[in-house]
Amino acid sequence: MMEFYEANKDLLLFAGASAVKVLVFLNAVMGFTALLTLAERKVSALMQDRIGPNRASLFGLALNGLFQPVADGIKMVMKEDFVPGRAEKLLFALAPFFALVPVLALFSVIPFGDYVMVFGYKFDLQIADLPLGLFMVLALSGLAIYGVFLGGWSAKNNFALLGAMRGAAQMVSYEVVLGLTLAGLLMIFGSAGLQDIVRAQGRLLFGWLPAWGVVYQPFAFILFLVAAIAENKRTPFDLVEGESEIIGYFMEYSSMRFAAFMFAEFVEIILVSMLAATLFFGGWQVPYLYETGFILPGGAQLPLNHYLVSAMQVGAFAAKTVFFSWFLLVVRWTLPRFRFDQLMNLCWTRLLPLALLNILITGAVLLALGKV
Amino acid sequence: MILTAAIYFFGALAAAATVLMIFQRDPVKAAMLMLAALLATAALYLALSAQLLAVLQVILYAGAIMTLFIVALTVTPAAWRDRPSPASLKRVLGLAVCAVLLAELLKVAGPLRAAAASRDFSETGALDLARQLFGPFVLQFELLSLVILASIVGAVALTSRRRQAL
Repeated sequence: MMEFYEANKDLLLFAGASAVKVLVFLNAVMGFTALLTLAERKVSALMQDRIGPNRASLFGLALNGLFQPVADGIKMVMKEDFVPGRAEKLLFALAPFFALVPVLALFSVIPFGDYVMVFGYKFDLQIADLPLGLFMVLALSGLAIYGVFLGGWSAKNNFALLGAMRGAAQMVSYEVVLGLTLAGLLMIFGSAGLQDIVRAQGRLLFGWLPAWGVVYQPFAFILFLVAAIAENKRTPFDLVEGESEIIGYFMEYSSMRFAAFMFAEFVEIILVSMLAATLFFGGWQVPYLYETGFILPGGAQLPLNHYLVSAMQVGAFAAKTVFFSWFLLVVRWTLPRFRFDQLMNLCWTRLLPLALLNILITGAVLLALGKV
Repeated sequence: MILTAAIYFFGALAAAATVLMIFQRDPVKAAMLMLAALLATAALYLALSAQLLAVLQVILYAGAIMTLFIVALTVTPAAWRDRPSPASLKRVLGLAVCAVLLAELLKVAGPLRAAAASRDFSETGALDLARQLFGPFVLQFELLSLVILASIVGAVALTSRRRQAL
């Protein structure tokens, strides 16, 4: 036993640390997702001058609706799990997993902090530091289409299929834009590893401006945000589901299978927020905060403990994620829905040429500065 | 050792999914099995330390091409038939041709012994590939874009003719 431990010490340490990271990070994401379902309803209530859910209580303690996600979850589990008679049973059962799994898998490449030293070992605060992390994001988000599509097709319902067709067309189109907007970042940072990209954003421009992605690529950030909201299938791009009037791809789903689609959408909000923060807003970077503490542009220094620095960086990443999640919620309740032809025109005749132009200009500037 | 096991596992998975796909009568299910085969192949590439190829396989084949396949398939009448029609003589003949092709393929592939040296994981080969593509092979690469352009023009021509007829 001891021999085996000694021989495979590194492997065991890696497996253990990874398991802990997966548990902690995914549970944090899941917890935040549950809160986000409540936040969505609270934000909509706020914007429509209502109060929103505030009755669900535990031992008479309502806390203004904080237990609503728990009540929702119990309700979803209790509902009848209905499968249409003509449905393709296996694919019908698989579709919710196709929607949820690629999104959850994507969290493995997102760096949520720099590193921590525990008992003399250095642990990266990222589940998997893949050198091609950015491509991984594109690959896995491309697989999310199958959830939508199988959900619509396997129910053998014409309305669900139409919803799925709209979804597939929309997601394939905006995926192209999403990929092209990220090309500019690749050119500037010269790496597709997300941790490398975040580390590169810790530099300063002109001695005072944090070299965040949004400073280099403000234009790409806007394109990314639009394409990401469209990939996420939320208003103003919610023609895929359209809860109240046009019927969506998951219309035959009920109970926890429906909840899985719903949950996937909220997890995607967090994912988009984390990607926006990671790629364009410095990830876990806090301006002027380095490994040893704050070093202000004037030269003033404030040395800090390693654990305090790490905690601040993880906190900064969480704060940025919360901010973008809030922003996406507000966008949903502010903008009206596009018509389908407008949606497609926006993608292929506006966003796509702009994304290509962005690549061209980025390349020209890099060439002019002699950075190639 | 883990890598070798992974190579055999994903190779077997890809082969099994492909065989199941060939014998699947329902077109959409066949497409899903093909997706499984493509993903298993991507995993196989990953086990052979070809990360870039694995990721491109997922983005291009699983993410883009298969999606279009499946969308096109579901609007065909065959996808909506509850019970697929039984195999006809023509299909049995097709199977025989497949068997001959498989035998030939095995004969050619038999002597091949892939020298898959596992490399450091931080090495992606992306830069090498780019240097080759935009260096010695730049003409071929650009010629390829002409093919794509031709197909785009063809697609536009096809759809615009139908629009006039309406």
